[in-house]
Amino acid sequence: MDYIKHKVPPVREDRLMACQAYGGTCGDLSRDSKKGCLYASKRTFSQTQGCQLNLSLGMISSMRDAVMVIHSPIGCGGNLIQNAGINKVFQKLRQESAVGLRWINTNLSEVDVISGGEAKLRQAVLKAEREFRPSAILVFNSCVPALIGDDIDGILDDLQKQVSAKIVPIHCEGFKTKIQATAYDSVYHGLIRNLVGEDNDSQPAVVRTPEEEAEHQAVISKTVNLLNVGSMSRIDEEELVRLLKALDLNVRILPSYSHPDDFVYAHEAALNVSICATHDDYFVEHFQQMYGIPYVMRTIPIGIANTNKWLRDIASFFGIEEQAEKLIAAETAELKQAIEPFKAELKGKTAFLTGGEVRILTTAELLHNLGFEILGLRGYHFDKYGEILLDEYLEDVPNSEKAIFNIGSGQVFEQANLLSKITPDLFVGHIGVNGSAAKQGYPIFPLFGQSDDYLGYKGVFEVAARVSRILKNPAFNKNLGSHTRLPYRDSWYEQDPFTYIDDSASVAARIG
Amino acid sequence: MSKVIERPRYVCALGGAIGTIQSLPRAIPILHSSSGCGGNLAGALSGASGYNGGNYCGGQALPSSNVSERDIVFGGEGRLQEQIENTLKVMDGDLYFVVTGCMVEMIGDNVHAVTKRFKGGDLPVLAAETVSFKGNSYYGYELVLETLFRDFVEKTTEKDAKTVNLWGVVPMQDVFWKGNLGVLKNLLKKLGIETNTFFGQGETLDNLKNAAKASLNIVVSDAYGIEAAKVFEEVHGVPYLTVQLPVGDHGTSRFLRTVGKTLGVDDIKIEKLIQEERKAYYPYLERLADVYNDLDFQRYATVVGDPNYTQALTRFLADDLGWLPELVVITDILAEEQKERVLATFGEYESGLRPEIVFDEDASSVGGYINRHWPQNQGQKYYKGFAPGVILGSVMERDTAEQFKVPLLSVTYPISNRVVLNRAYAGYTGGLTLAEDVLSLVVAHR
Ligand code: SF4
Repeated sequence: MDYIKHKVPPVREDRLMACQAYGGTCGDLSRDSKKGCLYASKRTFSQTQGCQLNLSLGMISSMRDAVMVIHSPIGCGGNLIQNAGINKVFQKLRQESAVGLRWINTNLSEVDVISGGEAKLRQAVLKAEREFRPSAILVFNSCVPALIGDDIDGILDDLQKQVSAKIVPIHCEGFKTKIQATAYDSVYHGLIRNLVGEDNDSQPAVVRTPEEEAEHQAVISKTVNLLNVGSMSRIDEEELVRLLKALDLNVRILPSYSHPDDFVYAHEAALNVSICATHDDYFVEHFQQMYGIPYVMRTIPIGIANTNKWLRDIASFFGIEEQAEKLIAAETAELKQAIEPFKAELKGKTAFLTGGEVRILTTAELLHNLGFEILGLRGYHFDKYGEILLDEYLEDVPNSEKAIFNIGSGQVFEQANLLSKITPDLFVGHIGVNGSAAKQGYPIFPLFGQSDDYLGYKGVFEVAARVSRILKNPAFNKNLGSHTRLPYRDSWYEQDPFTYIDDSASVAARIG
Repeated sequence: MSKVIERPRYVCALGGAIGTIQSLPRAIPILHSSSGCGGNLAGALSGASGYNGGNYCGGQALPSSNVSERDIVFGGEGRLQEQIENTLKVMDGDLYFVVTGCMVEMIGDNVHAVTKRFKGGDLPVLAAETVSFKGNSYYGYELVLETLFRDFVEKTTEKDAKTVNLWGVVPMQDVFWKGNLGVLKNLLKKLGIETNTFFGQGETLDNLKNAAKASLNIVVSDAYGIEAAKVFEEVHGVPYLTVQLPVGDHGTSRFLRTVGKTLGVDDIKIEKLIQEERKAYYPYLERLADVYNDLDFQRYATVVGDPNYTQALTRFLADDLGWLPELVVITDILAEEQKERVLATFGEYESGLRPEIVFDEDASSVGGYINRHWPQNQGQKYYKGFAPGVILGSVMERDTAEQFKVPLLSVTYPISNRVVLNRAYAGYTGGLTLAEDVLSLVVAHR
């Protein structure tokens, strides 16, 4: 992979042949995916989802000591408004003096659309510098400047000479892709190009004696970059750090909630540790190519099996397998005993999960181990990383071929239809779709949360405890189920849930 | 050139339009835009509006053509046609309303030509070009109302002297809109007047469809909904009146007098109602007599937000509560003439108070104005600043409130530190609710 030289990264439809519309079973999907014919499918009726810009902000708006400039008409980035007063709380968990979200919108008007938005972009960046003196100014580019052809990079290069904050352009126009996850590439692209590396350090380079240098290298040889994700809570981070420290490793956490300076020496690490390929493949591949830093990225440490796999992958890199096995044995023995009572209680219950491909497949395995039968999954999109995980899942979870697999971000009409047919005991969902399932009366376990833990061994126990608590009294959603109505016609529920997925292109590819 | 804005408290015209349509009973917005717009706006519409939620058809349920690069190159009209056809099949509504994002405008899709093909069908399909770069949420509200008044409200020559329409309370942007509309409707009912608010509890689309029978349109705003009122007048011949959002006795009594007089309601009847309402209102405030005075409840106040609320809150604090709301920051983008109209609403206080009023869209400017109004302590021994003080604004004023160590009540958009269901601040009852909320803050630390 070598896209860093380019101004913008490619979209995931092209780079990973990612698919965003599919309906079938887990078995079907595994087979169809290998034929490589899924990516061309589309919907003839669709609901809104989210764009690269939203997700880019979701990923990195939490950066401390940074100001975001959103170069767009006034509405783009609107989701930030709901976090304006509350994000600070989460930033403070990482740094007491954190100030919370700050952003400037260039408020492009009709005049700007005709005469170009470049002057406004300048104004915004200079204002960010003048008012806040941040360490970094992250500039997010939306649809309109892309269509009117603003020379964003040119202006920002020029501005960089005038401001002391590091300017990071993030090209994330919404219309470019239907795979929102392209946002992760856009953000990492900007971060790698503009924050990583000594030449991006505002401090003079450190001079070390040979002894100091040797010591420094020794530290690096045991340092991992733990790539966190926006949906990860501080408690999740702490659990993973605890496990990595138990293996005597040093941990640097990037990119969500990080400080711009955290990136300067990010290449001084022995290993990149990802918990999600959807989030990090662009970053880790480039780091390997540019700095020769290998990575671990197979799975997310959710559930016992996946946490074990994750730890073993890391340990085998450092050649400390024995130490890891000891840790795993001790942790799992203790955990298994602790979750025994929940298993008795949850045995035979059924579940349906929706969200990112990596997260749902691993969470499904966790629930399976607690005694659940998994009736179906909805992935936001699907690509080669999902394929690998799905195959492992099919192996680890008996009789899972027949479970439903639907692909599409948002598209709650398909979800509503599916749920009316498969009626699980528990719905596990990503933010944005839970309200819809709640109105159908299902008890809901949120797939992630800023205040709760999900990852590692502690996560398993916490998930079990929360699921059991939620199932104990689903009255709120039951009431909603009997007294509210989703905005779909009765006739819709009689149809095939995948009626509006048009996969004629892939059918043609299969035949041809 | 328009200004860049630090932490805007509104979104684009598309966002305002979606918020407006989804607040109408059984109306289904259809977005003709790229896939991200709806999701991007959802958090602003529901999460930032006291967790208002998406109503019947909002959030991720919004139908959207999700045009992407390919459609942008080849044009999105075909995709829109397909999307409308299928929306009518899947989504269960009584009114469908196509709204557009900026990209489809820039590529020149003609949405009106496409929606026209659905004319005369079983279900009404309307359209408005809610181009984002032409204006903000309020502009979107205005455009949707104009379209409804032109294309949905049925023409009639029949007029009913006892029926009025009322708008200007913008759904979502006024986080308490639903409750507020209910209060105003009930008040007018006490004057023998039926009110269509279109968005209020218990109303249906028929209230809107038959709105041309009204004898007066009441726009409860000096900034929003006035263009739509002009359209209504032009198309249906119904005149309009602008009044201020009333909170508490002083505001609401003015409201009743203005509206009553315009409608030709007998003066005696109006005064009688005001007396009755006061009879219910002041006994509640009376309960505070001891505590207000024993604990010295008077405060300086800074009021931050949109023109509708800032004028209402300032009058309430000054005249009903006897506070000193000396500084008002209005955060909306307003044209010069709007500014003048709005400025005129901050006057004639019974208490004689004259607040300083500034227009500034940037969220972090507020602290600067407070410092200028109540100069900061430069280390002097004797010094009078913004203390004891309270800020009435939005959740965005959190940091400012912390900085000055004063309590904050979020009343204006955005609000994400409170959950709002049917709470209302309008009218006499709303004034009591506001007194409860703001004074509770003052005693919270005890
Ligand atoms: S899709 Fe484009 S216009 Fe819509 S919110 Fe995203 S960046 Fe803005």
